[in-house]
Amino acid sequence: MLGFLSARQTGLDDPLRLQRVESTRRVWGLELNKDRDVERIHGSGVNTLDIEPIEGRYMLSGGSDGVIVLYDLENSSRQPYYTCKAVCSIGRNHPDVHKYSVETVQWYPHDTGMFTSSSFDKTLKVWDTNTLQTADVFNFEETVYSHHMSPVATKHCLVAVGTRGPKVQLCDLKSGSCSHILQGHRQEILAVSWSPRYEYILATASADSRAKLWDVRRASGCLITLDQHNGKRSQAVESANTAHNGKVNGLCFTSDGLHLLTVGTDNRMRLWNSSNGENTLVNYGKVYNDSRKGLKFTVSCGCSSEFVFVPYGSTIAVYTVYSGEQITMLKGHYKSVDCCVFQSNFQELYSGGRDCNILAWVPSLYEPVPDNDDENCLQMNELLKTKFLSNLHFEDIFAF
Amino acid sequence: MSRKRHRLVPEPFGLKRRRERGDVEVDSLRGESGSARAAVAELVRLFPRVLFEDALPPIVLRSQVYSLVPDRTVADLQLKALQEQGEIRIIQLGFDLDAQGIIFTEDYRTRVLKACDGRPYAGAVQKFLASVLPACSDLSFQQDQMTQTFGFRDPEITQLVNAGVLTVRDAGSWWLAVPGAGRFIKYFVKGRQAVLGMVRKAKYRELLLSELLGRRVPAAVRLGLAYHVHDLIGAQLVDCVSTTSGTLLRLPET
Repeated sequence: MLGFLSARQTGLDDPLRLQRVESTRRVWGLELNKDRDVERIHGSGVNTLDIEPIEGRYMLSGGSDGVIVLYDLENSSRQPYYTCKAVCSIGRNHPDVHKYSVETVQWYPHDTGMFTSSSFDKTLKVWDTNTLQTADVFNFEETVYSHHMSPVATKHCLVAVGTRGPKVQLCDLKSGSCSHILQGHRQEILAVSWSPRYEYILATASADSRAKLWDVRRASGCLITLDQHNGKRSQAVESANTAHNGKVNGLCFTSDGLHLLTVGTDNRMRLWNSSNGENTLVNYGKVYNDSRKGLKFTVSCGCSSEFVFVPYGSTIAVYTVYSGEQITMLKGHYKSVDCCVFQSNFQELYSGGRDCNILAWVPSLYEPVPDNDDENCLQMNELLKTKFLSNLHFEDIFAF
Repeated sequence: MSRKRHRLVPEPFGLKRRRERGDVEVDSLRGESGSARAAVAELVRLFPRVLFEDALPPIVLRSQVYSLVPDRTVADLQLKALQEQGEIRIIQLGFDLDAQGIIFTEDYRTRVLKACDGRPYAGAVQKFLASVLPACSDLSFQQDQMTQTFGFRDPEITQLVNAGVLTVRDAGSWWLAVPGAGRFIKYFVKGRQAVLGMVRKAKYRELLLSELLGRRVPAAVRLGLAYHVHDLIGAQLVDCVSTTSGTLLRLPET
């Protein structure tokens, strides 16, 4: 590490290199820390988490009872021990609270004044953060499994919604109604995700084992249906292209948008080239997945070799994205983990599960080396002496 | 001066990787084979030829190769290269979409010729082996490929299916198959369940590998304990934990 610092200092290395190496090193050391906690508000399983992309300070969580909580992740107390407090919450006694389980929450990508939430009660609600009231409600005919708003879009305000029906609906926030639908899947849509690179490219994953890439400006159908065998494309066989041998549960683009990760109920995770839909055939091994709805996993950002954090039963498995190597399994939850998000400024991971807990995984720091200051030593000695004396007293009392 | 510069260029990540991933030490079963080709050659030796009276070519499973070559992506790439060179054929075994068998092309060719000797479909099979096998290294064949590119007529394709060389996949597409592999698949599925059952019935659902190999072989296991153990480890149906007494096989909790 000193080598990196001196290389940076003398100008032999790019500044970005030191940053990436240090980020990677911190991700390697992720573990549970007794000094960091997230306040427990939820009374039932946490389904979804989202950290706002502007500052990385506020986190939203949605629970199975319809409750949405907003946490402040920043540690402004001078103590190492810190509990992330809930700033506000939309509880069961709120007039506009969702009736059933909240499946997805997402911050508005450009500022924290607004967020969206979708739920099993067939609605997508748009909330104003400051007043905590719904600004708009979109109603659908089927339960909503997932929604996503493009993080890079400047020319449109479309929210892609995946429901139990086979059609992907695109809702326009400016006009307040559904602008168009994308047809092509045959069963429920379990996950949707916009590309972080192109504002019109959308990826959808469905229970019919197919994952499709769409350009929403194109009326005639999807761009590519991902095929796990990279087979020859012929008209007769096009309909048989499957991305997984089971339901496709989760989708995540890498942070540069060039690759797409999908997980399926066949216990596999696959990495695809998002420009031509080719399976890169990176083998991650068995990624256990028995979730009947979507699985929310996440990719790190800003490290020299990117990592993917996937909920694996009651643990979180960490793999390197491009080589498929399993780094570690993070154990800490009591029941199955449903969602995880990565805070890229501090390389922290937050995960929520069915045990109603949100755990914070923090890079393990070194133990502080005691200073050689005289004052500190003296104070330390005083402290030890008083402790020792008080112990003696205690024991004397006990003896008699 | 140049030496100093070398030291400034990094050796990354001073953080020691504290968590073991269950990597195994050298055990009686787990000698490290560097490449996929060496792994396949070693596993072919474990296949019981006597059981099938030499009528079947030695079949090795992909999951067994994963147990000998620890990096799966590298193993996949090497197997794909071998497949493209024409040294091995990959066969879809019907019972599981994941389980794929690997056979050396030479073995496959000799066994198939021997099996179809003197039968009415011998001509079609020989034409298939001569023209289609070297040209197309895929697992499956399509209708238009067979009729147009290789010039097979429908009755000939029916003869190939009767011979056991092709298995129907879909309307107009076929998997490559091994004649007489049905018996192998039956023994394999039963043996896999039996060995998994041995681990399941153990106290705490875990067994030391050395103890498992030393136990009496149940009647359902006809292909050999070592053959099945490689497959279970590679398919991740058991977790491999390295302990001070050797490798431990444990059933996963999920």
